[in-house]
Amino acid sequence: MISIQNISKKYGQNTVLQIDKLEIPKGQSFGLVGNNGAGKTTLFSLLLDLIQPTTGYISSKGIKVHESEAWKPFTSSFIDESFLIGYLTPEEYFYFIGDLRGQHKSDVDALLAQFEDFFHGEILNQKKYLRDLSKGNQKKAGIVASFIGNPEIVILDEPFANLDPTTQIRLKGIIKKLSEDNQVTVLVSSHDLMHVTEVSDRIVVLNKGLVVKDIVKSEATLKELEAFFAGSAVEAALEEE
Amino acid sequence: MIQKFISLQWKEFIRSSSFQKGVAIKILLFIAAAYIGGMAIIGGMGLYLGIKKMIPGIDPMLVVNSFIIFWFMADLLIRYFMQQLPVMNIKPMMIIPIKQKTIIHFLLGKSVISFFNLLPLLVAVPYCITAYVKGDYPLLNIVFWLLSIIVITLSLNFLNMLVNKSNTVFYIVATLLVSLVACQYFGIYNVAQYAGMVFYGLYMNPYYIVIPIALLVILYYANFNYLNNRFYLDSAISKKVKEVNTSDLSWLDRFGAMATFLKNDVRMIWRNKRPRQVLFMSGLFLFYGLFFFPNPAYKDMPAFLAFASIFITAGFLFSFGQLVPSWDSEHYKMMMSQNIPYRQYLESKWYLMVIAVVVSFVLSTPYIYFGWDKYAMIAAGASFNIGINSFVTLFGGALNRVPIKLNEKAKAFSNTQGFNPTQLLIALPKLLLPVLLFWLPYYLANYNVNAGIITLAISGAIGLVFRNYFLTQIEKVYQKGKYKTVAAFDEK
Repeated sequence: MISIQNISKKYGQNTVLQIDKLEIPKGQSFGLVGNNGAGKTTLFSLLLDLIQPTTGYISSKGIKVHESEAWKPFTSSFIDESFLIGYLTPEEYFYFIGDLRGQHKSDVDALLAQFEDFFHGEILNQKKYLRDLSKGNQKKAGIVASFIGNPEIVILDEPFANLDPTTQIRLKGIIKKLSEDNQVTVLVSSHDLMHVTEVSDRIVVLNKGLVVKDIVKSEATLKELEAFFAGSAVEAALEEE
Repeated sequence: MIQKFISLQWKEFIRSSSFQKGVAIKILLFIAAAYIGGMAIIGGMGLYLGIKKMIPGIDPMLVVNSFIIFWFMADLLIRYFMQQLPVMNIKPMMIIPIKQKTIIHFLLGKSVISFFNLLPLLVAVPYCITAYVKGDYPLLNIVFWLLSIIVITLSLNFLNMLVNKSNTVFYIVATLLVSLVACQYFGIYNVAQYAGMVFYGLYMNPYYIVIPIALLVILYYANFNYLNNRFYLDSAISKKVKEVNTSDLSWLDRFGAMATFLKNDVRMIWRNKRPRQVLFMSGLFLFYGLFFFPNPAYKDMPAFLAFASIFITAGFLFSFGQLVPSWDSEHYKMMMSQNIPYRQYLESKWYLMVIAVVVSFVLSTPYIYFGWDKYAMIAAGASFNIGINSFVTLFGGALNRVPIKLNEKAKAFSNTQGFNPTQLLIALPKLLLPVLLFWLPYYLANYNVNAGIITLAISGAIGLVFRNYFLTQIEKVYQKGKYKTVAAFDEK
């Protein structure tokens, strides 16, 4: 589905991302973890053709993302609040996205109905603009909007941050269901090791722009990740001395 | 304490992204400010001498005083739309031991340092000096009259803050202004004459200055109390959360695939402060012809009239169009990764501008009063705006990568958004090309105005024929600058 070939991103002398080869098959639930500055958002931005790769390319369903726009119809994403249009109400925003993805108003309504629990009565019919919603509620709206129009690839950057515990648990259920039932390829990044191991089939750890671990999820995964990040904390402490 | 505040403000100023721009822009801005300042000074001097020359036998002071009420009204109106209220990052100050009153006093004091308070000074001071030197006025009266004008200007400053903050004050002031103008207009009551007497009184009796001072003190404390009582996270400090006004825009559906974007843009303009300001400004362009058409000086220079005609229908096109990608800067990443072909995005903006030109043209119908030839000129100008200028403007937008905060008013003069040398270069053909296209055939056809009008109209039509070609070229430019634009809009 997604094939990353020899991709790198440099700002001057500073290499922020360097991945030689990475293949993500269709329907995989892909988890990306790493400390701040590890290159998670850079990778996602490259996937969405929001920044230009220094070398290499990413192809999605055989389409090189920086050469054609043909990947847009089957890809959707929520990276940060700049993916929301602040002056629209959530409903208007959902219908706008629906329009863009060729969905009829009733299709959007049907989809939104499935997320009534997730919204917890705080999104629809609030008579508020998106810019006036709280951070958590903005995130809820953005995440659900990325499910509109039966995308084949969904990219979510830090979806668990800013959400309340109940919503976090519901979101985990939604992501799991998405990849199991519909063969949607879901890419999720997170700082929360527990959440990300729970929803992913496969976990890639980035550290300073490099892939340092690429593991298929098993019973031992969480322990392994915790050991890795605890170790890198020790390492960082040693470096400082 | 105050020094600390000042140093914080100074850092905010010099470290703001708009200040850290190229030297060229700073120089241009300086020149622009110097130009306006210079014009004001010359205007102030000219005011006295001009009145003396044009209305001989009447004391210029009397004339100025009878018109000053209109100046103040216009001042208030412009302030309401243009002046940005002082903002200070108050939240971090709320929990550290600083007296709340100190913060509020500082905030109010800061609002005094504004271009809008300086401009009247730039006119009034040279006027007073000229009047004193050339005329025969007692120094004491002149000085106190000047002081009164300054105090009234500052009162307007604080009145505007209240008007902006409180709906009640807004409605009271608006009703008052409208009824005053109506009284004057329908001849019920001669407001200007009465106001003239009041202001002349300020000149005649220097001690009357206590009245404007009292007004200033009252308004200052009204503001102070307003803020002091609302110094909480959930009132004055918080952003106003307005109840949404959803309106049915399904009438736009007739534009097919474009409707989605048009609806969005209409909502954007309607619900955000900055685009509303642009809309107001572009409305003013409609009156541009009034400076040119009645003036006999331009009778033999129809090229100037053609210039004015272009402006009449181009207000929105110029002021909105030059900031085209910037309007979506707050959510540009989404626009670029959603299922939106670039072409469609640009086309929808183009439609919006064309609709605006058509609407302006319809609104300009009263210009028939100045003769059908003038109206034909406006029509030719509209055609040129649709067929050529719309594309030039869109093209210029590709070079503009300044993020816009939609729901904040633009600051006068600290605002360099959408203002760069390339933009200026692009603006030249938009204005000079039509003048040339008008003047050349007019000159060649032995000073026949119709030749110019027809050429202008036809060039617009030809541009429209090449629409798809132009849009494809513009799309390429936008595509090429995509990464730079995304990165620039990401900087806050």
